[in-house]
Amino acid sequence: MTTTSPPSFSTRPDVAQIGAIAWVRKHLFSGWFNSLVTVVLGSLLIRSIVGFIGWATTTAQWKVIPENLPLYFVGQFPPDQYWRIWALLWMISALSGLTWGNLSQNVPHLFSRTVLIWVGILAVIFVLAPTPLPYRLLLLATLGLVLGGAWAGRYLSQSLPSFGLGLAIAWGLSFFIMLWLMAGGFGLKPVSTTAWGGLLLTLFMSVVSIVLCFPLGVALALGRQSTLPVVRLLSTVYIEVVRGVPLIALLFIGAVMLPFFLPGNVRLDLVLRAIFGLTLFSAAYLAENVRGGLQSIPRGQAEASSALGLNTPLTLGLIVLPQALKVAIPSIVGQFISLVQDTTLVSIIGLSDLMRISRAVLANPLYIGRYAEVYLFIGVIFWVLCYAMSWGSRQLEARLKTTN
Amino acid sequence: MTQIQTDASRNGQVGSEPMIIAENVEKWYDNNFHVLRGVSLTVQKGEVVVVMGPSGSGKSTFIRTFNALESYQKGRILIDGIHLSTDLKNIDTIRREVGMVFQQFNLFPHLTVQQNVMLAPIWVRRWTKARAEEKALQLLERVGILEQAKKFPGQLSGGQQQRVAIARALAMEPRIMLFDEPTSALDPEMVREVLDVMRTLASSGMTMVCVTHEVGFAREVADRVVLMADGLLIEEATPEEFFNNPKEERSQKFLSQIL
Repeated sequence: MTTTSPPSFSTRPDVAQIGAIAWVRKHLFSGWFNSLVTVVLGSLLIRSIVGFIGWATTTAQWKVIPENLPLYFVGQFPPDQYWRIWALLWMISALSGLTWGNLSQNVPHLFSRTVLIWVGILAVIFVLAPTPLPYRLLLLATLGLVLGGAWAGRYLSQSLPSFGLGLAIAWGLSFFIMLWLMAGGFGLKPVSTTAWGGLLLTLFMSVVSIVLCFPLGVALALGRQSTLPVVRLLSTVYIEVVRGVPLIALLFIGAVMLPFFLPGNVRLDLVLRAIFGLTLFSAAYLAENVRGGLQSIPRGQAEASSALGLNTPLTLGLIVLPQALKVAIPSIVGQFISLVQDTTLVSIIGLSDLMRISRAVLANPLYIGRYAEVYLFIGVIFWVLCYAMSWGSRQLEARLKTTN
Repeated sequence: MTQIQTDASRNGQVGSEPMIIAENVEKWYDNNFHVLRGVSLTVQKGEVVVVMGPSGSGKSTFIRTFNALESYQKGRILIDGIHLSTDLKNIDTIRREVGMVFQQFNLFPHLTVQQNVMLAPIWVRRWTKARAEEKALQLLERVGILEQAKKFPGQLSGGQQQRVAIARALAMEPRIMLFDEPTSALDPEMVREVLDVMRTLASSGMTMVCVTHEVGFAREVADRVVLMADGLLIEEATPEEFFNNPKEERSQKFLSQIL
């Protein structure tokens, strides 16, 4: 054997192997075809971005947004009663903060760097928001409530064992306080539901429909899996019929036909009828998502539970459903996101949700032709709502993870 | 170490009080497959019976009829004197007295180890949380998993999971324990830790029926070995007789395949 000098090893990696240039070379310019695709798509992308920025800074007339902000957010809600909406927002913010703190009680740092960055961005947006100064201060106060709530929630969860239960009860009560603040009565000036509008109405319908369709969907999913033939048949027929009908049709049924089925002296509010349609519609889809979750749970789970002496309701409630719902979180939240977006359809039956308000604004001669600005604005609002839900679902999944 | 509570201590003190009586049990699956074709077996209090047999012989199905995880169409089963019929009340009573350990462990993955063990005593026996916790920690110590009590099953090895499953079944203070191939899904190096727990349990006087292929365990611990094939009970003998001197041709063939 000939002796050769050992190859010299550098402790520094070769520049060509790592770093930004290598990444670009490996992922964007590996071969002539990929390079071509990169160049074509890249130039298209850059042109669109430049075009958009150009439009947004020169042609676009953004005054259509700030001049109508109350309309977008609360519709025709009487301005002298706006404080009720703020009270509602604060109640929800405080509860959300407390819940966040409760869920984070075992996390080392409540306010991680990512959270602080987001809080900073929100604070800047609120400070620069194109509204009168008092409103900006109120918005900042809302943010403060969330953060303070989170801190307090974490502290209270660690010192009070029944804090979680109290929080759940508070959320339940908050629904009735919300109804009271929005509709009035009991000492508050009544506000007709026809005055509800904009984001307020969109959120109200979304939240109520989500809360109602969840138990209904779970019940339908269990019904479809039931060993009782009648229950199974009814659930299956319901699910398949509703899934075969467009939401628009269901909304019209709720708005136009429901009054015929009810006794003459009962007049259901239009908002209630819309919620009725949205709930029935989503429940059918939700049922199928939950069924998927149920079917993913191995038979052995229910067997082990039965073998321990747990009866069927206990087995379902303690063993099967918690696991099935956890598996189904992504698709359930996906269904909720669709539901939020589907609320825009209620404008067709005459409710002033965010979509209809936008069209009303556009009908104003002052703002003729400002479609792009308005639709972009409500698009961003919907995106924020839906992205927040999707982010929340990922957090929940991470929190519920039980394997390494 | 605490003792598993039992009234009789073992070794030659197998009582003449039958805990399980199965008479001519027959079962058809939904597709009309005749899986049990008239099987009879009596298990005395404190006895350890090992059921062996080739796959598809119906041995798992047979022991799963003892706690009504499988129904049967003909014959009769008495567990501790209670007739196991379609009467739901009897089924509930029997399931409280019969613990079961599965091949796939079937721990509840969304609950911690300790919660797995505490669940049934709290919800079925209506124990206080404190009492169930004390019992759970006691049992987890017995099976050597105490330091993992706050972990989730998914964070444990197979052998550890199966030991938790045994603790979970024992938490209900059953009078009979059924083992359905408890070591078949385990890596070889984990088989022993599970068999050790079962051995201790047997020596404490627990009535046990085990479906297993562990010949060593059967030789050492079983009072009787039973061979099943094609839905029939072929041979019933002491381990010594069964392994050294099997009478039936079917048994000889089976033993020649596994030994």
